[in-house]
Amino acid sequence: MTRTLAPSVERPVQRIDPPARSRPPRPRKRSSPWFYMAPSLIVLGALTIGPAIFVLYSAFRNDRVLGGAGKFVGFDNFITALTNPSTQHSFLVTIAFVVVVVALELAAGFALALPLSGQTRANRFGAAIMLLPFAVTPAAAAIVFKQLLNPNFGWIGYYLGFLGLPEGTDLLSDPTTAWLMLVILDMWQWTPFIALILMAGLQSLPLEPREAAMVDGASSAQMFWHITLPQMLPFLSIAVVLRAIQAFKTFDSFKILTGGGPGDSTEIINLGIYRIGLQTFNVGLACALGVIFLVLLSLLIPLLQRVIGRRADPEEMS
Amino acid sequence: MSQSGIRTSKVSPGALTLWLAGRTWLWLWLVISMVPIVFMLITSIKPTALANDIPPAWIFTPTLENYAAVLLPGAGNSEGFANLLLNSAIVSLGSTALALILAVPAAYALSMRSFRARKGLSNWILSTYMFPPIVAVVPIFLIVGRLGLMDTYIALIIPYAAFNLPIVVWILRSSIIQLPYELQEAAMVDGASSWTILTRVIWPLLVPSAATAAVLTIVLTWNEFLFALTLTRSGAKTAPVGLQQFTGLYGTDWGNITAAATLTAAPILVLMVLLRRQMVSGLAFGAIK
Repeated sequence: MTRTLAPSVERPVQRIDPPARSRPPRPRKRSSPWFYMAPSLIVLGALTIGPAIFVLYSAFRNDRVLGGAGKFVGFDNFITALTNPSTQHSFLVTIAFVVVVVALELAAGFALALPLSGQTRANRFGAAIMLLPFAVTPAAAAIVFKQLLNPNFGWIGYYLGFLGLPEGTDLLSDPTTAWLMLVILDMWQWTPFIALILMAGLQSLPLEPREAAMVDGASSAQMFWHITLPQMLPFLSIAVVLRAIQAFKTFDSFKILTGGGPGDSTEIINLGIYRIGLQTFNVGLACALGVIFLVLLSLLIPLLQRVIGRRADPEEMS
Repeated sequence: MSQSGIRTSKVSPGALTLWLAGRTWLWLWLVISMVPIVFMLITSIKPTALANDIPPAWIFTPTLENYAAVLLPGAGNSEGFANLLLNSAIVSLGSTALALILAVPAAYALSMRSFRARKGLSNWILSTYMFPPIVAVVPIFLIVGRLGLMDTYIALIIPYAAFNLPIVVWILRSSIIQLPYELQEAAMVDGASSWTILTRVIWPLLVPSAATAAVLTIVLTWNEFLFALTLTRSGAKTAPVGLQQFTGLYGTDWGNITAAATLTAAPILVLMVLLRRQMVSGLAFGAIK
């Protein structure tokens, strides 16, 4: 790029006389970047590194908020966290949930983005409508879903009754259908986000390769597999990584719609930590679970840096 | 667009089928996904007597009684939802202001060419986006309790600002990097300090992206649930948390619940519809501009 040719001027070669209406003299040295960084680093550090250290410390102790001073217990909490069937279960269902919703939302979102990518008035209207569920406050969405699914008065039970659903079926009382409802709620809310990322991607693709393929007589399917899909890979990976991170943080919908039930069938790790740490106050175990969760999530950091870092400033990352 | 030109010139049956399938899927999705929103809006303006009717009543005289009942303190509703909405607004605006005050200088530092650590720090800030709030909430709960800040605005404002910093810093940093560097060079030659460059040269040009980042932060903090649920009791309780407790207070008075849900969702719906491109691009860290 041309920018690299310009010598970066680290400080003025020579200070010219201050302008007439100048402020009081400043120190000659330009303030350090650290001066500008410090406030952010302090706050961000206090809210991420601080808690991480605390969690790591508490994970080796048996502190309970209400039970007096705890003591060092070594790896006990980690052993419990990794061997207890119910915590194992919550890690597994969390990962399963993330994989399932990301895959389904990616497929559904791509299938929405393709017809929406043409820039027509109907499509602009369609895209605006499509985004509405994404804009609904997640807690409000979960409350509304819960009302819709009410076995006695809900619209869903009533209208699905025409399709043969027995009257009074409680879709949230069976583990399988409860899972299905959580997946549907998540898809309802987040597919539009993925669709809009992919739509923006499709609209930014160069047309020439497709035109050339068309001249060569490629079929629509060939064109999709050999041209559109490879071109879209960067956008697909942005959507997958961002969505996976958000899906790992899901809390509202589970807490409100099922509360982890029936039984503990929908207790994802977020709910598990919440229940263990803030309701039964077993801080040590909650922190051990938190450490394991942190380690698990940190595996995604390189992916995040690759997909965001590279797209966000191509000149720097190269 | 040239696409439609190509399409009409040579339509194979396969392409037509695909096109039809795509349109069908799209409109089917749009119609079905509107059901919860339509339910929420319709039920919120139904007279109480009809709200629980099955089959659902579609013809009725709209009423605002549910909104009035929800907003004002009344029987079984000591707080009034208006208070919770006000709390949400204070917390959202406060954390957004704090996030911007922290992020603008940081983004500027992360755009400085002489700053060796900038790449590492940018990546670190980006990686904190991964940090799961559930892991932070247990220590923060204990610290907030010890400091006696439980159920105060500040206990929400600071964590919210911190958790939105990665997005805000990255949006602002990308915008600063995209500004012509010659502007900064010219100011430096004139002897401007870096503070002057930030406030007089960069900030005026940064206002549009800062506005986008601000709106995005408002939306994310308005919608937040976990911290609000954990760190507030009544004084600083926000609207999403209040919603969840409605079921208990009212049994299933759907009119009231849906009115409260509508009131909670409406400001965000409006912002999102007005700024949808910027919001989605912002949530993708500007990676899809």
